[in-house]
Amino acid sequence: MSVYLREYLTVVWFGVAALAIGGLLLGLAALVRPSKPSYDKGIAYESGVDPVGIGWSQSQIRYYVFALLFVIFDVEAVFLFPWAANVERYGTFGLVVMLVFIVLLLDGLVYAWKRGLLRWV
Amino acid sequence: MSDATFLEFVVFFSAAVMILGGAVGVITMKNPVHAALGLVLTLFGVAVQFVAMQAHFLAAVQVIVYAGAIVVLFLFVIMLLGVDESMDLSIEPIPIQRPLAAVMAVGLVGLVGAAIVRARDALIIAPGDGIATAADAGTHDANIKQLATNLYGDHVFAFQLTSVLLIVAVAGTVLLTRKWPKDVADTESSDA
Amino acid sequence: MIASLLAQAGDWTSPSIDWAALAPEIVLAIGVNIILLLDLQLAETKKWAIATITGFVLLGSFVAVVVLAVTGDGARSLFDGRYVVDDYALILKALFLLAAYVVVLLSQTELEEGGYYQGEFYVLLVCSVLGMVMMASARDLVSIFVALELLSIPAYMMAAWNKRNRKSNEAGIKYYLLGVFASAVLLYGMSLLFGATGSTKLTDIGAALLDGDLIGLDVVAVVFVVCGFAFKISAVPFHQWAPDTYEGAPTPVTAFFSVATKAAGFVALMSVVFIAFPGADGVYQPLIWVMAALTMTFGNVLALRQTNIVRMLAYSSVSQGGFILMPLAFAGEPGVGPAALNAVIVYLIAYAFMNLGAFAVVIAVTRKTRSGEISSFGGLFSYAPGLAVAMTIFFASLAGIPPLAGWFAKFNAFKAVLDAGTTAAYVLAAIAAVNTVIAAAYYMRVLRVVWMDEAPDGDTSPVKSPAPVVAALAITVLGTIVLGVLPNLIARAGAIDALTGAFAG
Repeated sequence: MSVYLREYLTVVWFGVAALAIGGLLLGLAALVRPSKPSYDKGIAYESGVDPVGIGWSQSQIRYYVFALLFVIFDVEAVFLFPWAANVERYGTFGLVVMLVFIVLLLDGLVYAWKRGLLRWV
Repeated sequence: MSDATFLEFVVFFSAAVMILGGAVGVITMKNPVHAALGLVLTLFGVAVQFVAMQAHFLAAVQVIVYAGAIVVLFLFVIMLLGVDESMDLSIEPIPIQRPLAAVMAVGLVGLVGAAIVRARDALIIAPGDGIATAADAGTHDANIKQLATNLYGDHVFAFQLTSVLLIVAVAGTVLLTRKWPKDVADTESSDA
Repeated sequence: MIASLLAQAGDWTSPSIDWAALAPEIVLAIGVNIILLLDLQLAETKKWAIATITGFVLLGSFVAVVVLAVTGDGARSLFDGRYVVDDYALILKALFLLAAYVVVLLSQTELEEGGYYQGEFYVLLVCSVLGMVMMASARDLVSIFVALELLSIPAYMMAAWNKRNRKSNEAGIKYYLLGVFASAVLLYGMSLLFGATGSTKLTDIGAALLDGDLIGLDVVAVVFVVCGFAFKISAVPFHQWAPDTYEGAPTPVTAFFSVATKAAGFVALMSVVFIAFPGADGVYQPLIWVMAALTMTFGNVLALRQTNIVRMLAYSSVSQGGFILMPLAFAGEPGVGPAALNAVIVYLIAYAFMNLGAFAVVIAVTRKTRSGEISSFGGLFSYAPGLAVAMTIFFASLAGIPPLAGWFAKFNAFKAVLDAGTTAAYVLAAIAAVNTVIAAAYYMRVLRVVWMDEAPDGDTSPVKSPAPVVAALAITVLGTIVLGVLPNLIARAGAIDALTGAFAG
């Protein structure tokens, strides 16, 4: 168990290194730079024009639709991994099962495509 | 306490703090985007717990699907609805609701907690007894093999029908954006 | 290279699959895809063909079920007993398919005239039915959960089908949020159950719970699982979504929810109660007892006060759910198990006919009156005597008046409860008897309006019902009368000794 967790220690060290480097650079910059804050410096930069409204704005539904389709095929990929990791083990049966699964999903994709869901209007 | 169990304890404890802290953040944050980020913390903590239980594959899926795709979806919904038009949540339609919910929540946590603590003695399973773990198999991809054996073995029918479920999801996505087929006057349907 | 890979492949044998046993599900799954792709090709004016094709898909699946029932020699068990096709499964599959067919008949003109999307509606309907058909055979927590999601998720969308109507959207969102919450509770219960017993197979869970004393974890798991299903069958106190969803959803969809979705919830509950929980009867019996008593009482009392017919039928459906639940409160008593199982199945069949019929009449009449108020049914007998008689048959059956189907169903439920012979059983039977009288009051109130009152606006032009609605009415009237007059028919259908794999006693 401990050997196993120690292998994952790399991940922890990696995270620590990321934080340390980021902190170091920002900390150094904070030490070196002069600090004279003013309101004009704090506002968002929009090509030199004064920004209108607040930073958050309503986005369009088509972003959401693409994200939703992405999740659907992401889930498909999740099912593909365990099969692909050991594909020869499941033989013809596994191949048929996975083909049926993919064909059914392709059916859904064709349907979404024909309905114009993949078009960015 | 030996070195190994101490390490396990540290991992478990930090992951548990992440999960609970994130969950509390989700329900207390005023800004919905911050709440969504709290959810990321919770889901990531769950992934760490999966790792601690030697379920690498589930941990990876947890990060890719949940912390990645699904939270992005949440953020799109939040952006779609507009963060600036936040609702005033202090108005109560039924005044007793919130205290009652708090009492219920505490009671439920107490009940389930007590049940789990008392079950500890009854459910100690020796290694190799009951559910097999990746450690028993001894290889690195034993985990994923075990999952696949279940998925393409006894649960293959449920797995196949999951694809029908995904078709339903595609149909739902289409419905969200489709135009109304016939031009029925709004007045006719809105008061029905 | 490949040879060495194959050498590593290890000892894995593909599960042997009895394809014939899966035929009803396969027909439906292929049907879903055919309808989906055909809908893309059809012009808007030819969409009516989709309803016909849906009918044929359901018929094909029904034929497969009948063939299995006729040729079947005992139960067919697949995937190591995780998917079982026995008499119990087959009769419920047939019920789901028949109910779905009646709903297709009812939806057809409604969708065409209302200008709804048609293709997707039938796709979702067939997906939902596929989930129900799967539920009838599922004997494993994983397949039960997949089946439950497969039948619920299309239902959430169907509730909000009238996209331009605020009430329909409210119906969809309420059903969705509470349904997902129920799924979460159920899933938590299932995970605890898996943790406590080490298996997702119902028979294994049953054996583990019978072995030794129940621990607290088992109790919590059982309670959560039962509560999760209670949402689906809209048992009080988990019924809050039902009236708003039933009222807001398009009426044919409401008919589908009140009959098919509810029946699927009961099927899941029965599978779990009879196979997995015999060792936990001390936990689920009091829980179901309280839920049954509350459900019928609350449903009836609230139904009394309704002026909208669909809302009244919604509360009446909640209260009927209490009657169906009643026998399950004694499912674990020695010797009562088979009687309780029969009573629930018989009630589900009878209820499907009479409730679908009641909704069919409402759909036929509101096509003319455009109003859901009970008062708008005044004088129905004077201008549409056929519909008035049909309505009388359905409402009398719902009230439990012999010799109609509802009477035999109620009789069976009471018999199963009284068989238990405990004080709790007598008290519950007494509560049910009082409720039967209350229920009769509001069913009769509607019938009085239909027979005695004048038409509210003096409009006595005849109701023109489209052929599919007439067909639906014919099926349901026939079912309600035949099952009432010849109760042996339905009794034999429900005479299932035990679920395959269930523990005797």
